Amino acid sequence: MEQRPDIPPGTLCMLILKTLARLGPMHGYGIAQHIHQISGDVLQVEEGSLYPALQRMLIKGWVAGEWKQSENNRRARFYSLTPQGRKQLASEIKEFERVMAAIVRVIQPA
Amino acid sequence: MRELLRKLRFLLRRDQFEKDLDDEMRHHLALKAAAEGSAEQANRHFGNITLLKEESRTMWTWTFVEQLAQDIRYALRAMAVNPLFTTMAVLSLALGIGANTAIYSFLDAILMRALPVERPQELVILKWRAKDMPAVVHGLNGSRSGAISPNYPFAAYETLRSNQNVLSTMFAYASAWGLNIVVHEQAEVVQGLYVSGGFYSGLGVPPAAGRLIQDNDDRPGATPVTVISYNYWQRRFSSNANAIGQSILINKVPFTIAGVSAPGFFGVDASVAPNVFIPLHAAPLLAQSPGEDGQRMFFNHNFYWVEMMGRLRPGVSIQQAQTALAAQFHSYVESTASTAKEKIDMPALWLQEGASGLDSLRERYSQPLYLLMAMVALILTIACMNIANLLLARSAARRREMAVRLSLGAGRLRIVRQLLTESVVLSLLGGVLGLFVAFWGIQAITWLLANGRENFTLHANLSLPVLGFTLALAIITGIIFGLAPAIQSTKIDLTPALKETRASAPRGRLRHAIGANRFLIVAQIALSLLLVIAANLFVRTVSNLNKIDLGFNRENILIFSLNARQAGYKDAALGRFYADMRDRFRTIPGVRSVGLSDFPLIAHYWSSQDVVIPGTQPREGKRDQTCLLNVDESFLSTMQIPILLGRGIEEHDMASPRVAVVTEKFATTFFGKENPVGRMIGIGNPKKPADIEIIGVAKTTHYNALTGEIPTVVYTPYTQNPIRQMFFELRTAGDPLALTKTVRQIVDQTGTGVPITNINTQARQIDQTITQERTFADLCTGFAALALLIACVGLYGTMAYAVAQRTNEIGIRMALGAERRGIIWMVLREVLALVSAGLLIGLAAAWETTHFLAPLLYGTKPNDPQAISLAVAILIAAALAAGYTPAWRASCIDPMTALRHE
Repeated sequence: MEQRPDIPPGTLCMLILKTLARLGPMHGYGIAQHIHQISGDVLQVEEGSLYPALQRMLIKGWVAGEWKQSENNRRARFYSLTPQGRKQLASEIKEFERVMAAIVRVIQPA
Repeated sequence: MRELLRKLRFLLRRDQFEKDLDDEMRHHLALKAAAEGSAEQANRHFGNITLLKEESRTMWTWTFVEQLAQDIRYALRAMAVNPLFTTMAVLSLALGIGANTAIYSFLDAILMRALPVERPQELVILKWRAKDMPAVVHGLNGSRSGAISPNYPFAAYETLRSNQNVLSTMFAYASAWGLNIVVHEQAEVVQGLYVSGGFYSGLGVPPAAGRLIQDNDDRPGATPVTVISYNYWQRRFSSNANAIGQSILINKVPFTIAGVSAPGFFGVDASVAPNVFIPLHAAPLLAQSPGEDGQRMFFNHNFYWVEMMGRLRPGVSIQQAQTALAAQFHSYVESTASTAKEKIDMPALWLQEGASGLDSLRERYSQPLYLLMAMVALILTIACMNIANLLLARSAARRREMAVRLSLGAGRLRIVRQLLTESVVLSLLGGVLGLFVAFWGIQAITWLLANGRENFTLHANLSLPVLGFTLALAIITGIIFGLAPAIQSTKIDLTPALKETRASAPRGRLRHAIGANRFLIVAQIALSLLLVIAANLFVRTVSNLNKIDLGFNRENILIFSLNARQAGYKDAALGRFYADMRDRFRTIPGVRSVGLSDFPLIAHYWSSQDVVIPGTQPREGKRDQTCLLNVDESFLSTMQIPILLGRGIEEHDMASPRVAVVTEKFATTFFGKENPVGRMIGIGNPKKPADIEIIGVAKTTHYNALTGEIPTVVYTPYTQNPIRQMFFELRTAGDPLALTKTVRQIVDQTGTGVPITNINTQARQIDQTITQERTFADLCTGFAALALLIACVGLYGTMAYAVAQRTNEIGIRMALGAERRGIIWMVLREVLALVSAGLLIGLAAAWETTHFLAPLLYGTKPNDPQAISLAVAILIAAALAAGYTPAWRASCIDPMTALRHE
């Protein structure tokens, strides 16, 4: 079976938030597809794991869910970003960049 | 916080959330299948659906709660495994927590509860104080109650009420005492309260039916109306609405029932709880003596009788209000003081917080209750120590279990938390059981305090604040006794603990545990000693009180009162009525003699007047006063009070001339060594001639109370003085109370509408004056026994455990030829060592603390050596008894078995 890299741990939440911030309300499948496409097929979300993550974000109040008609004429839950989620996204991106910069400094050839 | 709400919503609508999640995943798979061609393909990259759902679900639930549930389940299992330990722990906790809850419920009832009125915290009570009873004050009796009083002249009330700057409203009231009320042609005596027109609106309480007393009702000449209490409405009118508008007779005067006050409303003094409320201005209609006419009540500026309450304006502090009102009252008093003598000591107004109403209950019971609270707190402490002790022993036994869990990676904190959960579950169980103990305890204490009184008004119950107290207490005790053993049990050396076999004796750290164990035993014994000493002191107090020589024979006397004045009898007819009733009671078989007095002896009644003795110098700086008792000719002989000089009052003295028998104490106080018989005295107004001849001297008796200085007393024929109600004393051959029914029949037969009240026996009447001391002795004895029992159980447990630990050693000793007696002594020596240490500490603590009891003791000192040595003896005996079984068991060890024990 073809081996695709998992997304780095702890970043799934940030990716979902960023997706919602960029494209507005989306359902779970849409979010997975978007992450997959934008990352140029590099980031493969194990699609099922989206849902526990989304549940957690619902509890934290970062996203809000709303049931609407989807493109295949079925009911789907559309997630949208809340102001709190926007704040969370900003802080997560900041934190991520800090960590990335540090990693880059370590692995850069001297 | 929001997060919590969302989680709660999840709990409530769990099914919906599950369905949503399911739908969502299905939708995802459907889209994916459409995109990738086959459902199988889609499924493969999605992941384990069940697991994902489970994961999503855990996002919504609480790990804390789940772990708690898990811990509780585990705790219950651990408790079930060790039923003896559990029973002992829960029982001692139930007793400790129950006793605390019971006493606290009384504290709650009298100290914490606010009046059931609108915004009670705004209420203030107006009082005044002076150095002595001021000359400007008329209408108040003597200075015995100290010169602090809530009574004011009516004119002062009107003056103060006109000032609306500091108090938004002010209202007045005055006790109407017992009133004769005829409802449905049945007479009874009930408590009444005179209230001003603004009373109900000022307190802000609504009626339960009809209307309440208003300003319109409270003016001279208004139609007499009354408001009855909810209880009385239920009792006499079966809560029937047609009671409103009915006419009832109060002291033979018709009053119309205007309404019913709210359920639970008891006026302003929880200890009185009147049944009828009457407008202030109707008071003269019910007056029983010439001194109570309307002229005097409402227009005499020196006649102090009404009490007042007010409501602070918002933003006005009690000090500000006091300053303003005190100045106003001062100028009022100054205007009423006519002589220089009256201006010397004038009453000064002060304000008291009124949120919980008048404080008669509080004054009487708060100090004893705080003391009892301290005692039950000690008991709970002893119980806690006991359980801590048991837990320490058990934690030694659970070392292996803890070692296994720790080595498998359980966090120490997690284990401490689990052990604490166990102890809190234990204490909560104890708390629940303790509520039953408290329920029973409240009834027992109420019964003790009421001591046969019918109108006992201190009612405690398991109210919501009390339940809260119990819950808090249970949780706190659980943590207190559980924390040390829990922490200790996680501090073990893993490797040796794991190597221990189940049967082998733990070593090393356990020594430490046993050390803590012993320390707890010593502390328990010290605390028990305190309680046993207190119990001894109270028991001695009661026995001293019972040994007091009264001066008369208290046994076999039935006492009760009749008030014919309220039923319309006056003057000579009144005296004839009482004499006639007395003669009827004389004919009852089993009655030896019958006496009459205007109140019984040793019942806290007190009546005193100025006395003038011509030919003697008035004593320096003191007003000559004496106590009085109006009696008939057979009172002294019925009470078996001997005449020492002269003669007693005889039948022919009842009319005239005025005569008196004085007590020996009176004779020596006012006449020294002279013979007072034949001398004249004057009583009451000092300006009137001394027209009473002393005809005899009677033996001194206690007058109003068992304790305190005995006053001088003058016995006068009741027919020569104004009287109202009279008490009858029936000396009987057998049980006095057995005659109650006959007496009632005789009174009913007269058909005069005079109800019989205050039925009691003289012995019980006296006993009721020492209820507090008796209750203390009973409760304290019970508490001490309880403490001793708990401590002994602890001692027994510790010794039994120690013996079990030393089985091997004892076996070796016996194999080497130690005698059984020697083994018993060896164990008992250890018990004695522990007890001696405890006793020493306890004695030191007692030395420091028992002086708090001094005001409650009689005839004994807080450090009474006899009481203390008895307590020490009791403790040593109890400890030896507790220690003997383990010692005896140790001596029965079979050396062979013991050596194989390992």
